Amino acid sequence: MRKYFYILKSELMSNLQYAFDILVGFISYCILIFIFLNLWKYIYADPTELINGYNMNQMIWYVIITEILWMSLGGRKLCKKICNDVKSGNIAYNINKPYNYVEYALFNHMGLVIIRFILVGLLGLILGIVFLHSFPSLTILEILGVLLSCLLATIINIMLVTSIGLISFFIEDANPFFWLYSKMILVIGTIFPIEFFPAVLQPIIKFSPIYVVSYGPAKLFVNFTMTNWTQIMIAQGIYLVISFLICHGIYYKGVKKLNVNGG
Amino acid sequence: MKTKIRKKGVISLAVITVEHLSKNFKVKLKEKGLKGSIKSIIKPNYKIIKAVKDISFNIEKGEMVAFIGPNGAGKSTSIKMMTGILYPDKGEIRILGLDPKTQRKKLAYEIGCVFGQKEQLWTHLTPYDNFKFFGAIYDLPSSHVEKKIQEFIELFELEDFINTPVRNLSLGQRIRCEIVASLIHEPKVLFLDEPTIGLDPVVKENIRVLIKRMNKEYKTTVVLTSHDVSDIEKLCKRVIIVNKGQIVLDDSMENLKYHYLNKKIVEAKMKEAVNLEDQEGITILKDKGYNLKMEVDIKKKSIADAIKLLNPDNIVDINISNIPLEQIISSIYKDGEQE
Repeated sequence: MRKYFYILKSELMSNLQYAFDILVGFISYCILIFIFLNLWKYIYADPTELINGYNMNQMIWYVIITEILWMSLGGRKLCKKICNDVKSGNIAYNINKPYNYVEYALFNHMGLVIIRFILVGLLGLILGIVFLHSFPSLTILEILGVLLSCLLATIINIMLVTSIGLISFFIEDANPFFWLYSKMILVIGTIFPIEFFPAVLQPIIKFSPIYVVSYGPAKLFVNFTMTNWTQIMIAQGIYLVISFLICHGIYYKGVKKLNVNGG
Repeated sequence: MKTKIRKKGVISLAVITVEHLSKNFKVKLKEKGLKGSIKSIIKPNYKIIKAVKDISFNIEKGEMVAFIGPNGAGKSTSIKMMTGILYPDKGEIRILGLDPKTQRKKLAYEIGCVFGQKEQLWTHLTPYDNFKFFGAIYDLPSSHVEKKIQEFIELFELEDFINTPVRNLSLGQRIRCEIVASLIHEPKVLFLDEPTIGLDPVVKENIRVLIKRMNKEYKTTVVLTSHDVSDIEKLCKRVIIVNKGQIVLDDSMENLKYHYLNKKIVEAKMKEAVNLEDQEGITILKDKGYNLKMEVDIKKKSIADAIKLLNPDNIVDINISNIPLEQIISSIYKDGEQE
């Protein structure tokens, strides 16, 4: 494992030089949160009123957390990199190293996610506290529980995005698949909690990756209960294994088809 | 770890054994224009390219072998199969007794690769951080890596830029660091794919000296791919030439030169124009009246006889030289094309 943490550390060191550039990209995050803040203030005539079990502050914190998770993921960058690695044959230069490419991609990308998570996380918390004048009542242990869920959500997300990128072994361009995935997460997973969807759709969404990569950690942040935490951890554990197997499966099948051109 | 090879009654300790290696690529064909694009979606056409066709060779410990050929000859594909990057369709490879296809990760600890056209270093990190990184991925203890770095700083003269981010290094400095990065785990076999590409002659020479020194100090087996004939001439004692996926020559540099050096180039500047035509043992390469350039096959005609044809009293200046190795190699390439 030491080598993988060294990969993470090296990527972290590399990205630290661009921390300011990353911050500039978060202007869109501020605009988005501002829009939702006004939208929910308009919908909620009374901030203490409950809609589908959420009061206004919980709704806005929900969006803040899901957006922190999505923006810190940098999924498009990861998918594009994996696609390019496969298509250009660059992946070859990782294959002859004594590490597994999938784990390399995971730890390498975590080096970027950590910086983004810290920066956008701080920004999100500041925005939430400034505009809502409140913070969900969480104990230190509960915060650690939420952070663990955020970490698992990110790892699952990276594995799923890497799997999408690795489809490039078999088709010309995997980016459209990522586009579909990202729109699904954004529309169904980040703006509204699952409880806002029709009853018939809710069980389907609960079995989808949205439950573990987006809804779960945000739900825990706005309404932490041990029952919720246990359920989400179990779901994340199962998804972690599934996404890991899918990713490795695609990689091992694809690497045999690798075609490296040009000298 | 090494494979015992019995060839013509001689037992040798080969670190690289390649037997009947073949590799085909399936390439999608597309007819021109929009119609062709649509057709390729509905009914794609594929072409099979035979990149490597049944090649076999052995390389012994400490050898420095040039593995060369024209573009698209199959040399890089062969190297990629030897390093476990590509899977062969047919044939057997053993590098230090390991099968790159099934023991890729284990093999990675034993070999090093430098691809002149590809960066493996982290550009935002310094060479020092990069070497520490490579030490860690090869599971080397930190203290050992530190010791190796100090050793390489001295051997490869890295002192001046060891703490400068790689992106700010010159190409020559970067290549030096690329080589060090691939040596940090003390590989027994080193694959160098065009290590001097894009470098100026002085830096090229430095890199060659360093490769030689490394081979001498660590007894590293080196497989070199390069289009630069000087690299091959100055570094390797053996040449394997591949063309159209097949080995067209596998011989020592000495033999290669000996067989082709029976031809000399005679360039003469004359007082008066000489009207000389091709004849047995003599091929006129250039005839500009007072300046003449001819190729003399010394097996058929001696240099003295050739000079006599020019009339020694008529010669103002004369230069007799061997055929450049570059020309020898390109004629072997061309012979391969004709076959």
